[in-house]
Amino acid sequence: MEKVLPVSRLEKDDLLEEELKKARLGLTAQEARKIASILGRDPSIVECFILDIEWSEHCSYKSSAKILKKYLPLKAPNVIQSIEEDAGIIALAAVNGRRYGVVIAHESHNHPSQVLPVEGSATGIGGVVRDVDCMGARVVAVADPLRFGDVEGSEKEKVKWIARGVRQGIWEYGNALGVPNIGGDVYFDESFNDNCLVNVVALGVIREDEIIHSRAPEGAGEKGYDVILVGKPTDDSGFGGVTFASQILGGGEEEESRGAVQVHDPFLKNVLLMRKSNSAVWKLAREKGMEIGFKDLGGGGLACASSEMGAAGSCGIDIDLEKVHVSMTDMLPEVIACGETQERYLLIVPPELTEEVLRIYNEDWDLPNIYEGARASVIGKVTSGDRYVMHWMGEVVCDIPIHELTKGICYERQSKPVVRHLSEPEFQEPGNLGEVLLKVLGGPNVSSREAIFRSYDTEVQGNAVIRPGEADAGVIAPLEEEGSRAGIALSTDGNPLYGLIDPYWGGANAVAEAMRNVACVGAVPSGLTDCLNYGNPENPEAFWQFEEGVRGVSDAAKNLWLKGHPEMPVPIVSGNVSFYNESAAGKSIAPSPIIACVGVMEDYSRALTMRFKEAASRIYLVGGRYDELGGSEYYRRMFGALGKNVPQVRYEEERKAIYAVIDCISAGHLLAAHDISGGGLAVTLSEMLVCGRHQPACKGAEIDLERIGSPLRDDKKLFSESSGFVLEVSPGNGPGVERIFAERGLEIFHIGVVVEEPVFTVRSGEKEVLRLSVSAMEEAWRGGIAEALK
Amino acid sequence: MSQPNSRIFLPKITKVASKTQKLGSSSSHKLREMKKIAIIQYPGSNCEYETARAVMASGMEAEIFRWNRDAASLDEYDGYIIPGGFSYQDRVRAGAIAAKKGIMRTIFGEAAKGKPVLGICNGAQVLVESGMIPGVNPGELEMALAPNTGTSGYYCNWVHVVHSTRKGKCAFTRFFEKSEVFPMPVAHAEGRFVTRKKGLIESMYDNGQIVLRYSTVDGKVEDRFPVNPNGSTDNIAGICNPAGNVFALMPHPERAAWLRQVPDDTGDEYAEAKRDAYGSWQRMTEAGPGRKIFESMREYLENIPY
Repeated sequence: MEKVLPVSRLEKDDLLEEELKKARLGLTAQEARKIASILGRDPSIVECFILDIEWSEHCSYKSSAKILKKYLPLKAPNVIQSIEEDAGIIALAAVNGRRYGVVIAHESHNHPSQVLPVEGSATGIGGVVRDVDCMGARVVAVADPLRFGDVEGSEKEKVKWIARGVRQGIWEYGNALGVPNIGGDVYFDESFNDNCLVNVVALGVIREDEIIHSRAPEGAGEKGYDVILVGKPTDDSGFGGVTFASQILGGGEEEESRGAVQVHDPFLKNVLLMRKSNSAVWKLAREKGMEIGFKDLGGGGLACASSEMGAAGSCGIDIDLEKVHVSMTDMLPEVIACGETQERYLLIVPPELTEEVLRIYNEDWDLPNIYEGARASVIGKVTSGDRYVMHWMGEVVCDIPIHELTKGICYERQSKPVVRHLSEPEFQEPGNLGEVLLKVLGGPNVSSREAIFRSYDTEVQGNAVIRPGEADAGVIAPLEEEGSRAGIALSTDGNPLYGLIDPYWGGANAVAEAMRNVACVGAVPSGLTDCLNYGNPENPEAFWQFEEGVRGVSDAAKNLWLKGHPEMPVPIVSGNVSFYNESAAGKSIAPSPIIACVGVMEDYSRALTMRFKEAASRIYLVGGRYDELGGSEYYRRMFGALGKNVPQVRYEEERKAIYAVIDCISAGHLLAAHDISGGGLAVTLSEMLVCGRHQPACKGAEIDLERIGSPLRDDKKLFSESSGFVLEVSPGNGPGVERIFAERGLEIFHIGVVVEEPVFTVRSGEKEVLRLSVSAMEEAWRGGIAEALK
Repeated sequence: MSQPNSRIFLPKITKVASKTQKLGSSSSHKLREMKKIAIIQYPGSNCEYETARAVMASGMEAEIFRWNRDAASLDEYDGYIIPGGFSYQDRVRAGAIAAKKGIMRTIFGEAAKGKPVLGICNGAQVLVESGMIPGVNPGELEMALAPNTGTSGYYCNWVHVVHSTRKGKCAFTRFFEKSEVFPMPVAHAEGRFVTRKKGLIESMYDNGQIVLRYSTVDGKVEDRFPVNPNGSTDNIAGICNPAGNVFALMPHPERAAWLRQVPDDTGDEYAEAKRDAYGSWQRMTEAGPGRKIFESMREYLENIPY
């Protein structure tokens, strides 16, 4: 081997570290010595880069794996495929005797989006749709949970620049690709000033017998299957991307790191992915009855994808790096091996299929004329041994036992509780609660998200049933088979302020809220993904926040149960850990476990929107009001306070309430449903009056707070963020709804009535608490962040 | 399989929803041979599959025609749809590259014989770039679809359009009464019809070419956002050629072809119908407003000899 890292010569760690730094490797001296001991010799530079990536936080989950394994519930009766591959799959429906599944993946693209918002958020979608697509699925939806800095604070101009750029990247990529964006959520908090969060969730649908695996098929080694690389020519973009993802931003490294952000191309991706060339290859394999392996190239590029496919099939891999199609001259072998050029896939196919696969990509779908230098190339073979080998210019530049590559490393991180001295603000009840409500409605974390989601194509593919802004979750009916009634609902959640007060309840609430949202449209919460965004895991306090968050997520998933399967969890089927989210000054972001919940609807025609629909309907409150205003929009907007009493998830009640709402919807008893979260009961009711498309014919509501059995003050009843629901029920269905809740032992409160006149009136017995015209509420709510994001 | 010229045949959906009959079409098409529509697939097209479904639901056969097939073989189809998307990545200008390729030359010739041609969104941009729309002087570039005003870039939402030409003028609105208002979604960043040619708009009105205009729910053509979602001249949403058989349409009828796709808060009869259909999956498969565009195409093909 030509270039080696002289580990054995450099006996002193500081000298070795200097050498590592010179080579731009992120490995520690200890890790470099570990490589040498695995190999029994000094490693080549290429080997060092590959293991640097394989052992990065992003690929190996080296800090998180132990905790995830300890807590997260992965198994449930509806899981078709758990998290071992690029995306998880849960059962959706059986149509004409065949079972279909929903494919789910959830990723983060936080650091790239902070330094290059447009490119970062675009490649975030690019990566996650590949994860879903490479299972053989049709990608049917994406959603983007976003966390930005304080849009009203001292760094607001930077925050707006990032928010606008992220929005642009999402629409430019997702809309051009042709995947509808059906949801997501947005929070603003100053802890994200230096480190925004851009998560992205993608959904696909697949027939169970058509799933393609990310591994070398059985016998691939003995029969010498070909390794085919398809897509964009490899360049040096994204080299060091996963290492970048595991660094802390700040101190001028942003400029330097821009080179580590990949360059996106939705146009080429459209031809690969949107029922075009990839699906032609899958069809070919099915017709020939031959199994192929298929995987996207993401973090760690070719080296990661090929070694994982080989290891998963218990085969070796032999790659000739000179056969990789590249777009630049004089590329170093480590860059070809580890660069993260976008829009690429790796295939493992039987030799007798190779010629046809190449023709599908290079001639039928004409890749070389779609993008300069793009094509499908045979770059190596699967071998029957256990070696992962790479050749370059006639030399072996990598020769590692394949399982050593993929098994990763594990660190035991220290955990130390964060001690915070929090208190509840003390204040007199404001005299004019109407004014308070308008202020809360106009706040960045409550107001209408139209300024963002109207830039997204919510309609493409023609499967939309409920769109962003119409309900708590988006709903699509993506199965095209005649006779299919199945719907899929998707919601993403995670209030960062709750995590700031208590990371356990931050996690638990994120799960509960995501499930409530899905229940509000009538879907059964059936699968969860978690993207765990935290600070530096080497910092014991940040690691404790992570551990507590995972514990909260897990407890909620386990205690809220899969409907119809008592004591079985709603399974976590996909996820991601993003560490090192800190400011340059070393302050962690608000602990942010972001949860996506996929809901399954047997019949999409029952999908319910949240707008109040008919005068004289009864309004019911589900869920008691407690003194839980910690992290509330009320405290923040009115007093700039965080508070202390964060909402708790009362698992038993929460579960019953979620089930009862779903049962009411499937019985056809409800006209509208909306969950209670940020802003409390007052905001929930307001949104039911003003949401959706603007129209003059909106309704009003009259509410009596005395009907709620609670000793709380009126302002706290209105703004407490204790979980719950508000339901609109036609008078005739009132008894039916009350019965469904009573059967589950839950008390609900008939708190008011929908009225024709568009006025929102809240009383407490005889006393009028507030009275606002719906148009004033709508103006405050629609105005909120719209101006800031223009 | 996978011959360079292989055709993609989609599963046929033979069921035509009940509303079709109510809208006045004859059911005789079931007896005759179905008309065959080519849906042009460019690199970057992204609405070809749902457009094919809408065509099939309207009693026609749909075939997705890939860009690198022999353009001359297009003459065997009865009609053409250029679907939405980002053909050739919107390089130069949206629709500009596709307009210069052989496929459009063939379609240009077939349209001159009277065959119906529909361009939706990016397809409308292609028709304008190729000089087929407005087609007052066929082949001449007389208009453009300029960047939206009113929002920062891409805008996707449901809007209302009012049928502004006489019934029967345009091959694609034969089932719409004059002044009929209906909802459809728009989704584009460049959808503002503009021209620098003096008197062009006037002669288009004279020719009955201004087919659809953005309006309020009660049919008022108001030039303000979001009624006019992109700042289009005279709120123009869809233009046909003088003969009426070529139609450039910015809103997406294939995304409004079934009741299930229609939102329940647009304040019109379709929103009402959606609410009435709540809980009935069969009713959700009934026609939405966009279906009539495709059904008009079918009716034109069955009744107008060309």
